[in-house]
Order: sequence, then C-alpha cells, then structure tokens
Amino acid sequence: MKNRLKVLRAERDWSQQDLAERLEVSRQSVNAIETGKYDPSLPLAFRIADLFGMRIEEIFLRD
Amino acid sequence: MAEKAEKIETGLAGRHPALWALAFAAAMCAIAYGEYRGLLGGWRSLPFVAVAALLLIPMTKAASNRQAAAGALSPATRRYNQRMLIWSVGYVLCLGTAMTARNYLDPQGALLWAIAILPSVPMVFFVWTLARYVIEEEDEYLRHRQTSAALIGLALVLLAGTLWGFLETFGVAPHIPAWWVVPIWAIGLGLGQAIMASAERRATRP
Repeated sequence: MKNRLKVLRAERDWSQQDLAERLEVSRQSVNAIETGKYDPSLPLAFRIADLFGMRIEEIFLRD
Repeated sequence: MAEKAEKIETGLAGRHPALWALAFAAAMCAIAYGEYRGLLGGWRSLPFVAVAALLLIPMTKAASNRQAAAGALSPATRRYNQRMLIWSVGYVLCLGTAMTARNYLDPQGALLWAIAILPSVPMVFFVWTLARYVIEEEDEYLRHRQTSAALIGLALVLLAGTLWGFLETFGVAPHIPAWWVVPIWAIGLGLGQAIMASAERRATRP
C-alpha cells in the first residue's frame, strides 16, 4: 500500500528515528512502512494518523 | 520500542555474525575430523567443544550490534539474543557431555535414557525462547519479520526432511539422525533473515 509518510515526515523535518520514537516502534518498522514493504496494523495506522493529526486515508492510499 | 541506532563497532564484535557462525562451524568440523583421525574423542574433545562454544558469544554480540545499527534492537530482541546464546552454549555442552558419558560410563537402563535425553533439554528452551519472543515483542514489524524467518526455517526443514526421507526409503542416500532438524531449521532461520534484509535493501533503493 502506498503512503505519504516520507513526505509528512520531511515536512516536519523528522528523521526516521524521530518518527520511530514518537510512534514507539523501531526505526526498521518506520522504514518498512515508508517503503511500502509492510502495511501497519489498524491500531498502528491510527497511531500514525493521530500523530500527524490526519485521517488514515489521507496518509495511506489505495494501490 | 527499538533502542537508538548505534554505529557498527569496528572491533571483533563488529564482524558480520555469519563470520562467527562459520568460525564455530569450522571449529566443530575440525573437532569431528580430530575424532575421526583418533586425535580426539570422548573427554579429550570436551575442552575443544567448550572453546568452540565460546565463539557463539561474539557471534551473538555481533548480531546485536548489527540489529542496533539497523534500528531493530528492541528489548524483546535483546532478551531473545541472550536466551538463544545461553541455550546454544548449553546445547553444545549437553551434547558433548552426553557423548562422553555414553562412551566412558557404558550406561544402561534409566541412566542411558537420561543421557540420551540430555541434548534435547536445551531444545525445549529454544522453542520456549522463540515463543516468548513472539509474546514479548511489542514492535509488530519486528515480530512479523521473526515469524516469517521462522516459517522459512520450517519450510526448509519440511522440504529437506521429506526429500531425504524418500531418498533413504529408496535406498539411494545414507541414514541421517532426526536431530539434524534443529541445525537445518536454524540455517533456515538465518536464511530467512537474510532474505528479508535483502528485500528491505531493495525496497529502500531509489
């Protein structure tokens, strides 16, 4: 699944490590989600959406 | 949550864990060759086996360093590495002790049963360690990664076991003891990790 995580992160000038710390996940997880290698569970997707103050579908896009 | 990324160490612990695994395998092969040539055997092999088992310590440290550098060393992963190290060394020592006891004590009855079961005891804790990891890991991607690697290991065991079993049945291959399933599974686990690391590198490339 495509997502806008990298762009949103860049807009806030956050590194992958910064985002990982805010989400309380590993940097490898952030990298896997950003590159589309792994689709997060709904609870994690909601955490990501809450962190950016957006809806899930504004961050994760249908293929 | 994973610990902060660390720079890969450049000392001995900075070596690739596969190099330490190869060093351990080479040491065990050398011991087996020494026994085959009659230079070692029984209690004389035990100190060499113990020293070879020590190679598993830098291997685990090197693996932890690489995981930390990749931002993938969660507290659950750290505990998993430590537990796996303890039971790996325990397995090597239990196996060496059981082989020596069988050769020198000429055990019978219940003692023979106990000696035969001894090397399997650390295996129970191997399985327990993997189960604990899946329960304790809070990072869903790391948990997904490890369970996928374990499934690749299982696939290798099933394929290799079935293939070799039929080769044996049709009389074209020699018998291999069933305890080889764990080393084959461990190789598959490492292979699975390598496959996923490679897929991650491909996904990261622009």
